[in-house]
Amino acid sequence: MSDPQTPSLMHQRRRAAWLFLLPMLTVLAGVAGWPLFRTVFFSFTDATLATLDGFQGVGLDNYLWLLRDPVWWRAVWNTLLFTVVSVGIETTLGLGIALILNAHLPGRGLLRAAVLIPWAIPTVVSAQMWGWMFHDLYGVVNAILMGLGLIAEPRAWTADPDLALPVVIAVDVWKSTPFMALLILAALQMLPRDLYEAARVDGVHPVKVFFRITLPLIRPALMVAVLFRTLDALRVFDLMYVLTGNSRSTMSMSVYARQYLIDFQDVGYGSAAATLLVLVLAVATVLAVTLGRVRVDAGR
Amino acid sequence: MGLKRMIGRVAFALLVLGIVAWAVFPFAWAIVTSLKAGSALFTVEAWPSQPSLANYTAIFKEQPFGRNILNSLLAASSVVALSLGLAVLAAYALGRVRFRGRGLLLFVVLGVSMFPQVAVLSGLFELVRWLGLYNRIGSLVLSYLIFTLPFTVWVLTTFMRELPKELEEAAMVDGAGPFVIVTRVFLPLMGPALAATGLLAFIAAWNEFLFALTFTLTDDARTVPVAIALMSGASQYELPWGQIMAASVVVTVPLIGLVLLFQRRIVSGLTAGAVKG
Amino acid sequence: MAGVTLRGVRKSFGRIEVIHGVDLDVADGEFVAFVGPSGCGKSTLLRLIAGLEEPSGGDLSIGGQRVNDRPPAARGIAMVFQSYALYPHMTAYDNMAFGLTLSRTDKRTIAERVRAAARLLQIEDLLDRKPRDLSGGQRQRVAIGRAIVREPQVFLFDEPLSNLDAGLRVQMRLEIAKLKADLRATMIYVTHDQVEAMTLADRIVVLNAGRVEQAGTPLELYHRPRNRFVAGFIGSPAMNFLDVVSEGRADGSVRVWLPGGVPLDVAVGGAAPPAGAPLTLGVRPEHVGLADGGAGLVATILAVERLGGETHCHAALEDGQRLLVRLDGDRPVAAGERLRLNLRGETAHLFGPDGRRL
Repeated sequence: MSDPQTPSLMHQRRRAAWLFLLPMLTVLAGVAGWPLFRTVFFSFTDATLATLDGFQGVGLDNYLWLLRDPVWWRAVWNTLLFTVVSVGIETTLGLGIALILNAHLPGRGLLRAAVLIPWAIPTVVSAQMWGWMFHDLYGVVNAILMGLGLIAEPRAWTADPDLALPVVIAVDVWKSTPFMALLILAALQMLPRDLYEAARVDGVHPVKVFFRITLPLIRPALMVAVLFRTLDALRVFDLMYVLTGNSRSTMSMSVYARQYLIDFQDVGYGSAAATLLVLVLAVATVLAVTLGRVRVDAGR
Repeated sequence: MGLKRMIGRVAFALLVLGIVAWAVFPFAWAIVTSLKAGSALFTVEAWPSQPSLANYTAIFKEQPFGRNILNSLLAASSVVALSLGLAVLAAYALGRVRFRGRGLLLFVVLGVSMFPQVAVLSGLFELVRWLGLYNRIGSLVLSYLIFTLPFTVWVLTTFMRELPKELEEAAMVDGAGPFVIVTRVFLPLMGPALAATGLLAFIAAWNEFLFALTFTLTDDARTVPVAIALMSGASQYELPWGQIMAASVVVTVPLIGLVLLFQRRIVSGLTAGAVKG
Repeated sequence: MAGVTLRGVRKSFGRIEVIHGVDLDVADGEFVAFVGPSGCGKSTLLRLIAGLEEPSGGDLSIGGQRVNDRPPAARGIAMVFQSYALYPHMTAYDNMAFGLTLSRTDKRTIAERVRAAARLLQIEDLLDRKPRDLSGGQRQRVAIGRAIVREPQVFLFDEPLSNLDAGLRVQMRLEIAKLKADLRATMIYVTHDQVEAMTLADRIVVLNAGRVEQAGTPLELYHRPRNRFVAGFIGSPAMNFLDVVSEGRADGSVRVWLPGGVPLDVAVGGAAPPAGAPLTLGVRPEHVGLADGGAGLVATILAVERLGGETHCHAALEDGQRLLVRLDGDRPVAAGERLRLNLRGETAHLFGPDGRRL
């Protein structure tokens, strides 16, 4: 066995590794760990923004109130609906665009560049752009649809409770599909080309090739991309806040939590909502990792 | 076969054109709108009859938009520099040294980048106030680290792992310790990786909204996204759409330029960060 | 300069032991080659000496000093890697100077040593180039130069020529031989190419499954392999092995019966096996001759490979056992023909059931 007095090369490397990790871990603990702990802690108190250091424990009261608030349940429903529908559409469209980009056909470069544009635009900007396009009086969407005779009179897209959430989803699909397409494209490009050539030589129908060969092979990467998008969609904030403000018809869990935390200054109650959101995300991740067998793996 | 194939090609070309139009139209419409001044704004026309730059001058004169851009630049570039500095060292440890708990640490790092920002809002608010950073850029640098740091660590770790092992061993035989290996052997080789990662982190910080909205109060402390979201005109009930679109175009054009310029690197950075099949 | 001593050196990765207690002495100034099939542990053994791996047990000394706990840079070694491992962002000069810069050697000494090494390797004109602007052979020279400027007590080479194409490999092999003569340093050289080992090494260490099978001069291994593994590994084309039955001892040799009832007396050193014991007879293809007249071992040619300078005949004996025969290049033989072969006892080897040579 190696001499315990003189640290060996491997020990030195390990010690250096921890030394290198220390600054990063300290910062993460400070900006993420501690605040998260405080949020959970506040959720059991009656703290307000003005009295962050003078509060009393209230046990589970905040949570009990939360579970009785129909607005909260509306926010939960909105968030889940938004997540399922937008991620579903984005995955399907993204897959289609990725397949087009992967085919060696003219116009690929143009398409890839065009598709990157929505991704590069800040969410707030895209929300404003679409908000303007969906404007009830001067919006181009109403003008086009009326010109085509599809609607008889202008719609108040973002104000109509039945239309607001679909509009939010449409904007998210526009903004996030490129991300999906790029991730799927990367997975497609890792597939061996001779596989397709073999299938073509064997005369397998392209649709069958897609479902029998392509899809199973990119499934792991696809699942990771879907998981990432899902977690992103569950915490959505900017889109709703900018497009429809604090409107109940589109309010997400993040918007709900922030409204109580900051606008109503009820830190205890808002923290309880934020804590529940974390739980939802954790459950989604666990479900994805166990049921979907998603492997997010950086260490080989 | 000829005709069928022709029809197929045309249909395919139309599909591609449709997707391109769908991707590009909103931004094009924003440009058109930004050039409409006064009441022209309220007529739907493909190109303004009297294009005007009035909206562009207004955002810098009537609004503190120049200041907002400066704030965003300052916050985003500081947080990127800080993140890259911390992440390079951490990525070496996570990517190239075997030690117990490495997998767990990577998982924690990934977890932090995934958790909802609203969940740290109250704790961060307390911290920001305690540090006296409220309504200052510092509060944004601090809070942006939550997402830029895990992201840069994660991506640089995958890049770091790809570097050849023999190179590191040659350096060890030459007498280089871990710090020298990172700074003098690996870092010079990671230029492209750092550029791609830094750019992606920069975009994320530049686009951030929730923290910027919460930790700033006054118009001149705001960042670009908050300014665009909260821009108000003469009357409270009338949004200055022309100015909002002008501001949107101003901040988006450089971003699109950067993204198109660094297309390939961005794609590789994104995939290194996300897909590990 | 210094020798290298290994005593009971072991190495485990997790629960799997890959080096099972190796004892070895490399003399000062000796050129030793480690050979063996892939996965035999030859590279691991080299990396243990370099300090890139930690031994799980045993002692390792360089120049009489125990170096188990010393980092690579403090062992007085220099290593040349298979992939060259040049720093891509540095010029050839900086690559060679890097180690000395780190040990804060003064600039003039560095320049002198780098220039001297460059002169020796004839790469003086390339010092300003980056690795990507160098050919494979030039990169290899820079890598060797980087080792030379460290003025190590021991040079370690990890398959340094295997990334080069065949022609360049022969040329670099000659240059390494010249380097060996010029530097007179201890060198340990890992290769899977036995020609490299045979031509360069003073002594060859044959490794198999983490153990030393035999260590000796190239000709010792060729003429007196200790066991069937070494006999089969050294020599190209590989030695033929035939199943034979012992008839017992006679005058320091053992008589065995070959297929077809041909007797052969093979000289043996140790105790003779009892009559009737199954043995393995080893004969190198170059030691199988053609018999004159009607006597000798009957074989049918299965296939003929003509290499120009020599001809390889794959043949089957009467009982179906295969045998490779090396003949002159122009010998008129064809598949299906019958040959009469002549084996000689002096050039044949007998191996017991445990694989050891008798």
